[in-house]
Amino acid sequence: MEYGLRLTTPGDVPADAREACPAGWRDLLPQGCTVALYFGSEFCEDRLPDLDEANAYCVAARDRGLEATLATPLLSPAGLLNVDRLLDGLTARGWRPAVVFNDWGVLELLRERHRCLPRRAGRLVNRSLRDPRAYRDAPGGAARRDGSRFARLRVLLQEQGVEAIETDADFEGGYLGDGAECGEIPMRRTLHFPFTYAASGRGCPLKAALYPDGGGFAHVFADPCPAPCQGKPLSVRREDTALPHWRAGNTLFYEPPQQAMRTWLRHADRLVIHAMAAA
Amino acid sequence: MKILAPLKGADEVLPLLEAGAGEFYCGVTPPGWEAAFGQAAVHRRSARSAGVSGLSDLERIVRLAGDAPVFVTLNAASYPAGAIPHLVEFGRMLVDAMGVNALIVAEMELILALRDGGLADRVHVSSLATCRNPGAAAFYRSLGVSRVILPRHMTLAEIEQTMIPGLECEVFLLNDGCAFEEGTCSTTHAFRPYCIDDQVGHAQGRLDERYAFWKWTLNNCGCQTSRGYMLGPCGLCALTRLKHAGVASLKVVGREAPLARKLGSVRLAALALRLAEDGATRETIRDAVVAERGAPELCENAHLCYYPDVWTDARPQPRQKSPSAARAGSRRVVPIRVEALPTLSTAPGESC
Repeated sequence: MEYGLRLTTPGDVPADAREACPAGWRDLLPQGCTVALYFGSEFCEDRLPDLDEANAYCVAARDRGLEATLATPLLSPAGLLNVDRLLDGLTARGWRPAVVFNDWGVLELLRERHRCLPRRAGRLVNRSLRDPRAYRDAPGGAARRDGSRFARLRVLLQEQGVEAIETDADFEGGYLGDGAECGEIPMRRTLHFPFTYAASGRGCPLKAALYPDGGGFAHVFADPCPAPCQGKPLSVRREDTALPHWRAGNTLFYEPPQQAMRTWLRHADRLVIHAMAAA
Repeated sequence: MKILAPLKGADEVLPLLEAGAGEFYCGVTPPGWEAAFGQAAVHRRSARSAGVSGLSDLERIVRLAGDAPVFVTLNAASYPAGAIPHLVEFGRMLVDAMGVNALIVAEMELILALRDGGLADRVHVSSLATCRNPGAAAFYRSLGVSRVILPRHMTLAEIEQTMIPGLECEVFLLNDGCAFEEGTCSTTHAFRPYCIDDQVGHAQGRLDERYAFWKWTLNNCGCQTSRGYMLGPCGLCALTRLKHAGVASLKVVGREAPLARKLGSVRLAALALRLAEDGATRETIRDAVVAERGAPELCENAHLCYYPDVWTDARPQPRQKSPSAARAGSRRVVPIRVEALPTLSTAPGESC
């Protein structure tokens, strides 16, 4: 097993990635070496780093012998331009980060303008069910581990030069396959651990809190946000599920049952450890 | 621009055509689906409450619609193993044998399978696929699909920038909003909409009250006017801009709704569309809509707007400004200090 680390600041990279994992989950993790440092955002374009911040992550990754890996979310047209500029800036400084795309527009961008950058299909490419309430009757998940569900998608991704697929633990299983679906050049398989996203969107309540009555939500989808959520997930209580929930700005995460997570570990080559639920 | 009306049965076709519908969409479940795939969904909406009763009714729908195109949803977010070949053949039968004009599809595996089966130009990419920028639109165009349905959570400016040559765009016009982006909500309404019970839950003034109010407007304010019109999300005042942008189709949401609600929505849309085609201003359209529908107070602060940036010059201002606003050029930055936030707790085992 190899590890990626998703930290919210570039400093304090632990020698063992498992140290970054929330304590209740560490016992599930096998030994392995850390190979990548993730930064950026998979869920909110306002959480993308500027060039200096991204540069700092690239420096931290280089100093520790890790691959800098930029996560990108679904993007507005302006956000897509920002990612293009960010990649221009990083490559101009000599960096060659891997890019996790969750938006097909980013894949187009990588194919058209940043061909040299390694690309990875992010967890939003997998649209399988993740409803936390589904675990009430099936704590192990649905256990339909049939990778054939995604055969054409894998071929498409390989044709586009994508080297890895990433996901979090969905309820249905099968997305990561068993590693043999792609013939001679199997796709690498990455699992984000331990938080699964349940729902995300642009109607962020924490952003809305910055506006007076009558503002926020749909009125400000395109307004930039100073990301008051950054590094500080809020615990969320729900009556309809006992699974721990977290709000990271515009996204709700939860911790799936450990029984379900164990089944996913067998299908991953890399674990990306999230120190906290962060969009 | 055509008004795309929802259908649950053939009896609705002629009244909706008369009201101004130019296109139709509906859902129908493949014969034998339940025996093969159990309770797995074929559509985003419940087949029981929103679907056409069967193929014979669909046949009537296509016949009665005449020149108005009919589209069929196969838009579940994901499908069980083995379902894709079944759906491709079903889709082919709908198009080739029944005269359905296009299939509304969300899942990438099914889109790719339909492409491989020579049906790409009969695919409309569902809003669940979250095509939100011109790069994503170019990607879908490269697959050969004929239309993308843009998600609800886009501004008018973003719609304008996302439209590219060679690909039709459809946008949401009336009813039924979503608190989360539909394509990035990985939960199911089968357990009750996940967003309904979502609360921030920390002391933050009236935030949860405001959040609940927003969700209430997205849920059609839970009511209708005394004249029978819905009070849900609405993009009518944006029609003139949508027309100039080149939008092809205007979606009225709500397949499961009673005919009276559908008729009200399509009539209102047709009224506004006639004005937009004559070059009416947003104010003229709003006044005409309010005069017909009622409930002017819900338009006063753009509470119901799918595209509130149509009123951009009249939007509420942020609470305060800071030097960081300068960095954003003409875009508005909302400054905030961490100490002004609600009490935040960290995730267990926090290390950073």
